[in-house]
Amino acid sequence: MISKKDFIKINDWLWEIPKSFRSDMRVPSRFYVSEEMLEDVFRDKSLGQLVNVATLPGIINYSLAMPDMHEGYGFPIGGVAAMDMKSGVISPGGVGYDINCGMKLLKSEFTETEIRPYLEKLGTEIQKEVPSGLGQGRQVKVDISSINKILEEGAQRLVEQGYGEKEDLENCESQGRLGRADATAVSDHAKNRGRDQVGTLGSGNHFLEIQKVDEIFDENIAKAFGLFKDQIVIMIHTGSRGLGHQIATDYIGLMMRTMGKYGINLPDRELAAVPINSSEGQKYFSAMSCGANYAWANRQMITHFIRKAWKSVLGEKSSPLVALYDVAHNIAKIEKHLVNGKETEVCVHRKGATRAFPPEHPEIPLKYRKVGQPVLIPGSMGTASYILVGQKEGEQAFYSTCHGAGRTMSRHEATRRMSGEEVVKSLELKGIIVKCWSARGIAEEAPQAYKDIHKVVEVVHNAGLSRKVAKLKPLVVIKGE
Amino acid sequence: MKNYEILEHKADLKIRIFGATKEELFKNALLGMTESMKPETKKPEEETKRQIKIESTDSAALLVDFLSEVLYLSQTNREAYSKVQFKKFSDNQIEGELFGQKVERFGEDIKAVTHHNLDIHQKKDKTWEATILFDV
Repeated sequence: MISKKDFIKINDWLWEIPKSFRSDMRVPSRFYVSEEMLEDVFRDKSLGQLVNVATLPGIINYSLAMPDMHEGYGFPIGGVAAMDMKSGVISPGGVGYDINCGMKLLKSEFTETEIRPYLEKLGTEIQKEVPSGLGQGRQVKVDISSINKILEEGAQRLVEQGYGEKEDLENCESQGRLGRADATAVSDHAKNRGRDQVGTLGSGNHFLEIQKVDEIFDENIAKAFGLFKDQIVIMIHTGSRGLGHQIATDYIGLMMRTMGKYGINLPDRELAAVPINSSEGQKYFSAMSCGANYAWANRQMITHFIRKAWKSVLGEKSSPLVALYDVAHNIAKIEKHLVNGKETEVCVHRKGATRAFPPEHPEIPLKYRKVGQPVLIPGSMGTASYILVGQKEGEQAFYSTCHGAGRTMSRHEATRRMSGEEVVKSLELKGIIVKCWSARGIAEEAPQAYKDIHKVVEVVHNAGLSRKVAKLKPLVVIKGE
Repeated sequence: MKNYEILEHKADLKIRIFGATKEELFKNALLGMTESMKPETKKPEEETKRQIKIESTDSAALLVDFLSEVLYLSQTNREAYSKVQFKKFSDNQIEGELFGQKVERFGEDIKAVTHHNLDIHQKKDKTWEATILFDV
């Protein structure tokens, strides 16, 4: 058992579990929380999981966790680990089942006052256009050769087909396409699960929200991002659906069977890993890249359907919905970072953590190059979301930051404590419209079941991982199921 | 004896499964997962059958691989299977036939069967018990 006496306080926002804590640790573990949130981290097994991550071969500097950390499979959610490309391993447990689960934000030119009369109708139309995919799915089943194209070309494929603008790709992590994707690394099982889910939202904590910019913390950066007070924006939170989960299932199985031959012995089966440069490791990276591309394509397709609903409700009045940014929070990326003062290529696992590149980083769009990468952080349903910006000090965490609020209450406990109707009513009292096919789905995602998003963001802001730019308030919440 | 019970878990679905034999344990695991997916069957009912064949490293992995395959068939065919008949059943291999019904939709979206804190063991009284966590 880990207790507070095992920690070293690095500063008010950062704590360390030294390498001496357990003999199999290769590096220390570090986690970002405030003193006030410290009690929360003992509630589940996330710290033990963070220590397990520190045992992975080739891990550089620290195993890291963000303030929204909670127990996951293998890695804790909120976990970050950078691996040496030669001696390091790659682990599907460090990416998560929902490969490239992530966020996209669309900006309008309207203020809240202008859109308020249309909110109810917009909610209804968007819900109609973007199915959850649990019932009938999309009516069209894409054939396998089209799925292969999406897996290898991501959002770029959809934009080529007319489901978006060139600007959508510019304003997207990796331009919506990871180059190392190879569809032959993805099983037919995974492809079949993906055939009728392009443009579907899914269930659980995935959502669409019409929001307004409620508060601006940094005028200059907000301006560079094209944000202004009371502006109407639309947030999308979803990932690679059944296809990504199948890739994870397939490769966790494969790695469990093969890691023995590489002499890898791990404390948890869900951490299963193989050397990055092994044939299995390369194959997983290609398959994971396909999953990531599928997720970017999914969010692009959803964007297309939202634009369609937007236009049909607002008609002549409608103005374009422009993507601010699209960013993953479950992914492994090959990136260059300073290691022992030398620029080195490493494989960064981010599971429930968001990339946050600083100003002047070559991998961010030119228009944001001077200010830094936009970071999109969703809060729990009906609370608030944040737009942050990456900064130089984020180097300490391989330019990673938090990804959301993080659960504290079980889904069952949430449904026991409150009904869907109660939650809808309390949100309506706050002036928020809720659209969801399932009352249980609403109760499970009640804001009380999550950590306080404001406290989470305060930690990453103060720790220097990313800085607050704007706070967003929900006006319409559309949930899958 | 109960077939299975749902346990408390923060984010996901945790099920404890019981069986007089290991074979029965697998049958009840199938039942527990399928019922948790809250299938709404088509009316009038439409019966369906599917062949399965799984090979794995050990009993624990076999159970996860078996349920993963069932999950895949359920989702892509929109079918709910409540029964399985095994033609072959060993520590690392199974072969058999699934029996179920066509469904309109599932009320719960089980996305993956995990190895997280997975446990499968024979008890002192010779009956079997397993605990599995599903990603929902």
